[in-house]
Amino acid sequence: MRASPLRVYALAYLVFLYAPIVLLPLFAFNDSRVIAFPLSGFTTAWFGEMWADAQLHNALRNSLITSGSVAVLSTALGLFAARASTRFRFPGKAGAMGLIMLPLVLPEMIVAMSLLVVLLAVGVSLSIFTVILGHVLICTPFAVAILSSAFQSLDQSLEEAAYDLGETPLSTFRLVILPLVMPGIVASLLICFTVSLDEFIIAYFLAGSETLLSVYIYGQFRFPSKVPAIMALGTILVLLSISLLAIAEYFRRRGIARSGGTDTGGFL
Amino acid sequence: MTARPTMIEFRNVHKYYGDYHALRGIDATIRAGEFFSLLGPSGCGKTTLLRTIAGFEGIDRGAVLIDGRDVAGVPANRRPTNMVFQSYAIFPHLSVEQNVGFGLRRDPRSAADKARAVEEALEMVGLKGYGKRAAHALSGGQRQRVALARALILKPKVLLLDEPLSALDKKMREQMQVELIKLQRQVGITFILVTHDQEEALVMSDRIAVMFEGQIAQLADPETLYRRPATRQVADFIGTMNFIPCQVLSEDASGHEVEARGLGRVRLDPAQVPAPRGGDPVVGLRPETLTLLYPGQTAHDREVDGIIDEVIYFGDMTYYDVYLGGTDVEVRLSMRNVPGRPVLDVGTKVDVAWSPEALVLFR
Repeated sequence: MRASPLRVYALAYLVFLYAPIVLLPLFAFNDSRVIAFPLSGFTTAWFGEMWADAQLHNALRNSLITSGSVAVLSTALGLFAARASTRFRFPGKAGAMGLIMLPLVLPEMIVAMSLLVVLLAVGVSLSIFTVILGHVLICTPFAVAILSSAFQSLDQSLEEAAYDLGETPLSTFRLVILPLVMPGIVASLLICFTVSLDEFIIAYFLAGSETLLSVYIYGQFRFPSKVPAIMALGTILVLLSISLLAIAEYFRRRGIARSGGTDTGGFL
Repeated sequence: MTARPTMIEFRNVHKYYGDYHALRGIDATIRAGEFFSLLGPSGCGKTTLLRTIAGFEGIDRGAVLIDGRDVAGVPANRRPTNMVFQSYAIFPHLSVEQNVGFGLRRDPRSAADKARAVEEALEMVGLKGYGKRAAHALSGGQRQRVALARALILKPKVLLLDEPLSALDKKMREQMQVELIKLQRQVGITFILVTHDQEEALVMSDRIAVMFEGQIAQLADPETLYRRPATRQVADFIGTMNFIPCQVLSEDASGHEVEARGLGRVRLDPAQVPAPRGGDPVVGLRPETLTLLYPGQTAHDREVDGIIDEVIYFGDMTYYDVYLGGTDVEVRLSMRNVPGRPVLDVGTKVDVAWSPEALVLFR
């Protein structure tokens, strides 16, 4: 194979992107508190040390509650928006959809700051509940994007056919639409869960005295002796994220195949 | 034809999409047990009209009556009609039998009776034994049959077919045309077919409504539509027709006397003269009513000489474009290719026989 400049560029790009992530498991199993080469030996002790920390359990519980709630709420909201945007025409639709999708590109700093100001002004005390509010805001666009793709590949005459065969709009939704977009719903739940789990800024700003997983990890870096345990935790999170995204993509594609449509994009 | 009762009646039906006037005063009746077609180019309003029967489109003025009852405000799920969609709309997550039995969900019959009804419906469309298959694994023709069985199992008063054959290849389409005709005779239900394919409409229908720009231009049986089109637009849309400029010399109750360029003077019966629509007068002539005379043949009707300008060979037929009698009037005529009748070359001088009865005057 010839080392053309483009090939070198592509390779360098991938190394830049993934080398740091590869370092996580490398040092998670390295038998030394110092994060430096050469590697000194193999150990699984860091995983035990990580799990022994009670703060981690607390942060993990908070994060699971937050991300689970966010996944359900964002997907439910996304369901309505996606249905409206693919099925109906109404004045101001483009503007409304634009505003719903905007948090996708809006700096999270701004979302976090403005929410913080408003919540404090209104007098809502900060907790994981306020983090859930913030995360729903940034996750709903993901849900809308995934579910729109599911609704778009749905032939509108399927709905009319069910209606024509005696079903009401409600039973049509239950018997025809819901089963056909279900893979999209599963994909949306998983992606929203992942996005929420990873998120730092909003979790840091709006959690008050509570700690979420991302914030916990950041906090642990202040203690050099705890870094190997964090590497172990990171390794687990990388595996978890990749698995969730892969499952989500599998469901999204299966949904499109099942409703006989063609793929119009996605995240993977 | 025996007088059948009326099944569908359109009374001055108007429909707007915003500023666009999609249906412009449709008046028509469709009889019970009839195979009726709505024929026209895309955008003429035929599908919209069909969807007003199904209940998927409301109307802005006028009335639609199904079996004598005004269906304004009756939703699609409570109308005695069922539809076969252009895309077939087979539920991809259900099996063939679940698809066919979908409309029976609210039927009070026992599960065993319903299963038998599904089996019968599948047998009727030639899909016996396909019940357990996954719907998304079927071919186009099979989906079409499932859609038919699914609609007919509810024994609707009217079956609506929205371009059901347009997605099939030519062979399959012709086969399904014959099957649909047989099926319609077997079940005796009123079939209303929407199509842009004039051949399909001619082959299948008892009567056809030809639509242009939201109006019915002519409603007649296929033969009348073909032989005596009411407007030049209809004549042009259905089959091929030559239009020859002419002058109207005289007109009275017994008929019209016209001078057609290249053909000479002709007397036309009142039946050959539809109501005037405006526009320059022309006489219309179908290609098969003109005949090339081979040496030794004599004309029974009238004759005109001409020169062959173009030869289009079709296997069983040959089309010739011929300039008539030293004029710039060119007509297309079709000849069946039979032994002893060679295909002639461009530039050959020929005699063309034609008959005055075949003419229609448009003005």
